[in-house]
Amino acid sequence: MKKSNVVQLTDPKPENSKRLWEQQYKQQVTQDQQSLNRSGIPIKPLYTPEDWGDEQYASKLGYPGQIPMTRGIYPSMHRGRRWSQRQLIGYGVPADYNERLLKLLDAGTTAVSLIPCNSVYRGFDADEVDAKLLGTCGVIVNTVDDMDRCFKNVDVATLSTAMNDPLPFTLLALLLAVAKRRNISWNQVSGTSNQSDYISHYIANHMFFRLSLEGSRRVLVDHISFCQKHVPNWNPLSVVGQHTQQAGATPAQAMAFTLATAIQYAQDCIDRGQNPDVFLERFTFFFDISISFFEEVAKCRAGRRIWQRITRERFGVKNPKAWRFKFHGQTSGVDLTRQQPLNNIARVGIQAMAGIFGGLQSLHTDSYDEVLSVPTEEAARIAVATQNIIFEEAHCADVIDPLAGSYYVETLTDQMEEKIVGIMDQIEASGGMFKAVEHGLIQQWIGESARQFQDQVEHGEQTLVGVNKYQVEEDGSSAKPLMRPSENVINSHLETLARFKANRSQAEIGVALTQLQRAAQDPNENVFGAIVDSICKGLTHGEVVHCLREELGFGQPQTIL
Amino acid sequence: MLIDRIRTNRNALAKSITIVENNFASASDILKETQCHLGRAHIVGVTGPPGVGKSTLIDACIRECRKLGKSIAVLAVDPSSHLSGGALLGDRVRMAEHASDDKVFIRSVAARGHLGGLSATTLNIICLFDAANWDIVIVETVGTGQSEIDVSEIADTTVVVASPGLGDEIQAIKAGLLEIADIVAINKADLPHSDLTMSELTNAVELRHIAKTPKILKTCATEREGVDQLVAEIIKHGAQVMQSDRSESVQRRTKKVIARVIGESVAREIRNLHSIKTDDFASRVQRGELNPDSMAKKVVQQLISYLADKDQAAK
Amino acid sequence: MLPQNYRPKVIVTKIGLDGHDRGSRVVAAKLRDCGMEVVYTAPWQSVTEVIRLAQEEDADVIGISSLATDHLLIPDLLKAIHKAGLSHIGVVVGGIIPDVDERQLLECGVARVFHPGSSLDEIAEFVHALSIQSRTQSLQQWEEMNNEKI
Repeated sequence: MKKSNVVQLTDPKPENSKRLWEQQYKQQVTQDQQSLNRSGIPIKPLYTPEDWGDEQYASKLGYPGQIPMTRGIYPSMHRGRRWSQRQLIGYGVPADYNERLLKLLDAGTTAVSLIPCNSVYRGFDADEVDAKLLGTCGVIVNTVDDMDRCFKNVDVATLSTAMNDPLPFTLLALLLAVAKRRNISWNQVSGTSNQSDYISHYIANHMFFRLSLEGSRRVLVDHISFCQKHVPNWNPLSVVGQHTQQAGATPAQAMAFTLATAIQYAQDCIDRGQNPDVFLERFTFFFDISISFFEEVAKCRAGRRIWQRITRERFGVKNPKAWRFKFHGQTSGVDLTRQQPLNNIARVGIQAMAGIFGGLQSLHTDSYDEVLSVPTEEAARIAVATQNIIFEEAHCADVIDPLAGSYYVETLTDQMEEKIVGIMDQIEASGGMFKAVEHGLIQQWIGESARQFQDQVEHGEQTLVGVNKYQVEEDGSSAKPLMRPSENVINSHLETLARFKANRSQAEIGVALTQLQRAAQDPNENVFGAIVDSICKGLTHGEVVHCLREELGFGQPQTIL
Repeated sequence: MLIDRIRTNRNALAKSITIVENNFASASDILKETQCHLGRAHIVGVTGPPGVGKSTLIDACIRECRKLGKSIAVLAVDPSSHLSGGALLGDRVRMAEHASDDKVFIRSVAARGHLGGLSATTLNIICLFDAANWDIVIVETVGTGQSEIDVSEIADTTVVVASPGLGDEIQAIKAGLLEIADIVAINKADLPHSDLTMSELTNAVELRHIAKTPKILKTCATEREGVDQLVAEIIKHGAQVMQSDRSESVQRRTKKVIARVIGESVAREIRNLHSIKTDDFASRVQRGELNPDSMAKKVVQQLISYLADKDQAAK
Repeated sequence: MLPQNYRPKVIVTKIGLDGHDRGSRVVAAKLRDCGMEVVYTAPWQSVTEVIRLAQEEDADVIGISSLATDHLLIPDLLKAIHKAGLSHIGVVVGGIIPDVDERQLLECGVARVFHPGSSLDEIAEFVHALSIQSRTQSLQQWEEMNNEKI
């Protein structure tokens, strides 16, 4: 037996070796369970050149920064410029945000984010909601004074800010008003409107959905066109796959929904006479990176390949910068567990590596305690350290697209591409993304996927360490004190807001409001321009949102089970 | 008195509905006590295929009715799952603005095996609203088929809701629903082709020479357009119907309830009757030894003799 | 007293500002699949709206899902439930609830808090049992009130 093995192992004929391996594998694994990844693609135990051969290199991979972009959108990728570490910040009142921001800037950060309070997301000023909820999940920003306070002693001309700013983009308008107040040219203001993808809000992140679908459609196009003219260094659009995947979509579905949405927005801009060679350069994307490691790497690589094809073939774009699939990644919060929370540090590390190998441009790593409460400072530090360890200690990003050429990764990238394109075709057949969400099709798919995944967890088909396997007895004794803004701080903020509102000239405010209403009613006006004007004249966030809800329709997302 | 309690106390009305819905022990007392207080409410059936915006339209109608000072109760019937018997009850018409209005009451019930149609218990719930002094009682049924016919049998006014671009559903409306409609609302009138749908339905009405000619009008519930007109038509129609003897329409409703209860209890008795071998009957019908008609007669005979035996034994 | 096949009536909802509803949707579907009659609402209900809904639907159990900090409103909800004469209704909470807050919720009358990773079967079983308890109590109250009147 032993002897014959030795002989066969050195068999020069590859087909014999393969047959032998198959026999041996079957002997060792008598009951091979069918293994599917989250997107439903069967995963084999072994991949070989029979699955993916080098003859496809030129057509499927090519070189970084070149068509078909599989290996990355820039020639030097992370070797040339490391991804941005963009941690989400936002808590309490503007002074709290400012304090945190200055600390980060001292530590060398150049890219920051602004996460507003949930009351802001819902389109309210602070004086319209239950005070208990204020500032608990983000910073309260309603007025130009608030925004000014957020960026006190900070040069907004040199900072790149990612605003979590759903339509109608009042936070950007407030920032532009601050720039104006400080005599800074809008040309110098840079950053991203991070939550501009209203379709993803309609179907998956309902909190951000403020205006009716049709109203949103118009505001977004106006916003893109305004930024092009007046704030050229601002990315007006980030198309988001993160919400749908967090809501339950599979990685392939999330990618397909995002690309189909981007096609919809691009088409809407073209229909309004904009040039795709110009506006597509400023399109950015935002994805959830789950712990399904290889699948996520393949998802990102496939997405890049599909997007460059869409820009070139569908929209006829000649500008190479507009072929780039720039994306931000956030490690997946739903993969984190409340049980044995420190395990989440390991999970985030794996997710982050998947995103980095997938070629992302900026990354947010979740804090391990996000599933317990709003993150503590220590946990946020560990999250940033995780990125530094991967980059500087482990040297994971020294080589561009390091998993390329792996039989498995290349096969999976092709299969994910096929799966994604298949879903996109279905959306196209139902009349495009806008129609598909109006009819609730996407919402149904997401709901089904969420239930399927839950079923797999309940039946133990998908292990969650500490949840359905390897559980330990835990008590709540490790509970940390919670970060909640004090009642006094909130009350004094409410007084400031009341003073701001009282000190305005009521006549001027009335005029500003009327002008905004008129702009909203006239489809030939740029409604975002009117929003910026009205904010500069002293309207608050809540006032603008209420006015537009009245004129363009209230955003009532569909809830489909 | 119970009748005073369900008229003045929201919790009591809600609880009595549950008791009637589930046929709990006190259900018969409740029904007995409310029976002599029926006939005041204007019962409005609202039906139509899924997706035409019935709920949004009803919500807009509530607002209009409230402007006219009428109190309004809505009973929304949703289908039960065949597999589990459970149900997801939509919370579709419950807009925040009604939440603090004492003159609005909205209740969802599951059809529980009645395919979205109306069961005897649903009819009883309508009677409860009637007895509890609600001016207008709207009954919303989802889906197509038998259920719409049910609504028209007990409603004083039946509103069929359609919308432009329905496809096959428009054929169903032309074929059946037009006959039962007192009013047809073409909702989502802001969509393209609403004029086409309007003329299609108008022509269908003219061609059919049906006894009652429904009023056809356009609405756009989301923009609140045409809703005032719709409500005016509903109330006008109701006033005509209710001029005639109310005891007659209450009697008609009661008859329906009785017929339903009889049908349901016979079916239940037969299901409980172990001596009836349904499998056996089925194979005999399959072999051609019996036709379904004579089989049915046999089953009923068996039931009668079983009940007679049971009676005898009790004596 | 209650028939074996009684179908519990359960409200699944979210109050406050957050709109993440993956959890509440999955739970609502599960409860339906276990034979319950579920009233499912869009997020952002106010306490007043939930009370009105519970009243008119005559619910056995109210399930509140919270991902952000909206559970801070739950003590107010429980007070309003008592005030509306609906104390028999059971309240369960699911979502991201810090331990400190969980203790407070249980103290003010929440029957149970389910955390991420809870099994759906366990949730359904608990809600069913709580519904039976709630309905039995409600029917007793009804009988007592009727007897008083006679």
